[in-house]
Amino acid sequence: MAATTSSPDSDSGRAESNEANSKWLDAHYDPMANIHTFSSCLALADLHGDGEYKLVVGDLGPGGQQPRLKVLKGPTVLTESPLPALPASAATFLMDQHEPRTPALALASGPCVYVYKNLRPYFKFSLPQLPPNPLEQDLWNQAKEDRIDPLTLKEMLEDIREKAEVPLSVQSLRFLQLELNEMEAFVNQHKSKVIKRQTVITTMTTLKKNLADEDAVSCLVLGTENKELLVLDPEAFTILTKMSLPSVPVFLEVSGQFDVEFRLTAACRDGSIYILRRDSKHPKYCIELSAQPVGLVRVHKILVVGSTQESLHGFTHKGKKLWTVQMPAAILTMNLLEQRSRGLQAVMAALANGEVRIYRDKALLNVVRAPDAVTSLCFGRYGREDNTLIMTTRGGGLIIKILKRTAVFVEGTGEVGPPLAQTTKLSVPRKTRLYVDQTLREREAGTVMHRTFQTDLYLLRLRAARAYVQALESSLSPMSATAREPLKLHAVVQGLGPTFKLTLHLQNTSTARPVLGLQVCFLYNEAFYALPRAFFKVPLLVPGLSYPLETFVESLSSKGISDIIKVLVLREGQSAPLLSAHINMPVSEGLAAA
Amino acid sequence: MGLLDRLSGLLGLKKKEVHVLCLGLDNSGKTTIINKLKPSNLGTEPRALHLLGKHSTTELNPQPQHIYDCAQVQDIVPTIGFSIEKFKSSSLSFTVFDMSGQGRYRNLWEHYYKDGQAIIFVVDSSDKLRMVVAKEELDTLLNHPDIKHRRIPILFFANKMDLRDAVTSVKVSQLLCLENIKDKPWHICASDALKGEGLQEGVDWLQDQIQAVKT
Repeated sequence: MAATTSSPDSDSGRAESNEANSKWLDAHYDPMANIHTFSSCLALADLHGDGEYKLVVGDLGPGGQQPRLKVLKGPTVLTESPLPALPASAATFLMDQHEPRTPALALASGPCVYVYKNLRPYFKFSLPQLPPNPLEQDLWNQAKEDRIDPLTLKEMLEDIREKAEVPLSVQSLRFLQLELNEMEAFVNQHKSKVIKRQTVITTMTTLKKNLADEDAVSCLVLGTENKELLVLDPEAFTILTKMSLPSVPVFLEVSGQFDVEFRLTAACRDGSIYILRRDSKHPKYCIELSAQPVGLVRVHKILVVGSTQESLHGFTHKGKKLWTVQMPAAILTMNLLEQRSRGLQAVMAALANGEVRIYRDKALLNVVRAPDAVTSLCFGRYGREDNTLIMTTRGGGLIIKILKRTAVFVEGTGEVGPPLAQTTKLSVPRKTRLYVDQTLREREAGTVMHRTFQTDLYLLRLRAARAYVQALESSLSPMSATAREPLKLHAVVQGLGPTFKLTLHLQNTSTARPVLGLQVCFLYNEAFYALPRAFFKVPLLVPGLSYPLETFVESLSSKGISDIIKVLVLREGQSAPLLSAHINMPVSEGLAAA
Repeated sequence: MGLLDRLSGLLGLKKKEVHVLCLGLDNSGKTTIINKLKPSNLGTEPRALHLLGKHSTTELNPQPQHIYDCAQVQDIVPTIGFSIEKFKSSSLSFTVFDMSGQGRYRNLWEHYYKDGQAIIFVVDSSDKLRMVVAKEELDTLLNHPDIKHRRIPILFFANKMDLRDAVTSVKVSQLLCLENIKDKPWHICASDALKGEGLQEGVDWLQDQIQAVKT
């Protein structure tokens, strides 16, 4: 039963790109949409509170040159505004309890978070300034008083860059990049400025403040380049809590509520994942990956991590590894697929070969094939459609697919995975006394038993070989292996009796040489059988053809006795047979019936 | 009684009743169209009378009466499940099943296919993204066993023509591949349900089709 149901499913899994079988409707594809971004810079939200969900894109621009904030409605760009720096992450969240409950849009870019309400700039949060390196400060102070020339300044700064623990400010770093002729002007322009050191935001996500509801107020959680995690107040944008990490966070996942209990999971640049709790200022658990993470998604209580080794790993929230799935190509990006109407949560992973694979735990649910490698993807309510998949490609294309209302993701529709039979439980009988005794004996006298077995096996092989040699020597087999007369014989007995028809099929198996001068002789008990001719000549045998030689056998016994008839194939003038066959004659049923 | 019925039918006193299904995605304007087609003097409708009576007996609040007096309610809320509305054209009395278009209610549609003698399919011409969804639902409808082998007239309203990004009715019929419907009479009307433009043309066509089938 399992086999019959699984086979059509696996067929549909293979033919995923097939239009009719697909679970997806192709709503929109624009290869020239000019959107270059990552999954973290995509967000879906009902920004105007009109029931139409918009897509927010923090666009890097072609080649990362013109960063822009784009808001898309349906297939078209609604608004577009330039950004001062490359976007790191985009998120939408509810700031307050006021009606109408339109979510605010937060865009992390450089050291700032830009908050928009109703698509109008609302607030700009900047990361707090860090203390600058005193040596660097000193140098610039000297430059201010013209006690140091630009070249020495450069040398000294380079020295600090290599040795000091506190990194240089942006101003000094930019100065170090300059050519010799530009230095003078730069120093004159900037020497009077106070040195500021500010870190940048690497990742951002949202965390519910005190309610788990869908439309509850959320805090922003930021990961920064100086190895810190910050949680911001949703209304005042003050730093509520600060946590430090051993490395720079690149992906963040959160669960819980800020005021109650929460868990932050950060995948970092040192190839480790750190898990922090509400009360801990430092990581509570650490998962060391064997390769760099390329994506982090939390599905219910399981953390799914994509690594550069073309594999997905599942971990518990305490860092215990559950499973690993190998991918056919490198993972480019990952995101969560949540189908609320069916209560499904799965992981989408976009691969370098243009596939988007959807996994629930380690079971492949679906494969979506895109015309180009997908660099960012998100799933959710878009426009008025609940289950929409939005993908952007490496070439800047935009693909929008809608999940069919009737589509159900079934495990095992993908091509790989363990067979169904593997999961069925076998009814293993209980261990009996005999079994236990036998196992004990095997454990004690294993060597002896093995030796005995080997001796018997050798004896058996020897006996078989002897019998074979004897058969060859006396030509007892129906196959002649001699090089001169390669022959094959097989016999058929037909009829119910008392008269049988005996047909010998004689074949010359040589490739070219015909055989001449063979004779056939039957040996039988004359008390039981009568043959019209017990001896006859065989005509010329043309190679390859099978010659049927027929003769009648009459059973004489009335007692239902059957015997053996021996068939010998001889060469004229030789007494040793070339071939021989023993025919077990059937009981004469005709006579018994009469 | 039969004689009397026929006599009144001939005299145009009693109109033939037809059941019509109004289908389409959510936010396509089904309820708005039906509301626009309803006459303003709904007081003669038996259902409305019954409701009025119920309200006036249970609570002495004139507010509900006021709502039912003006049939075309201005503030349209998403339909839950379905609602039944009645209106009359020159020779027929329509009973319209205004089905909810929300995804979770769309599986209700097929239970009413058997009773329907005509289908009104409303499409939001400005929602280009979901045109594929409308096509998918239409294909499911046309391939349903209760519909597939019946010559049931289908009237399409390419609605929301007033919106700036609306596509033409010709484009809508292309996107929905209407030319593939060979065994059923169909007609597409560009409409603007808010102003009521194009609705009468569609209803007139539907009336002609139903009468052609009946006679």
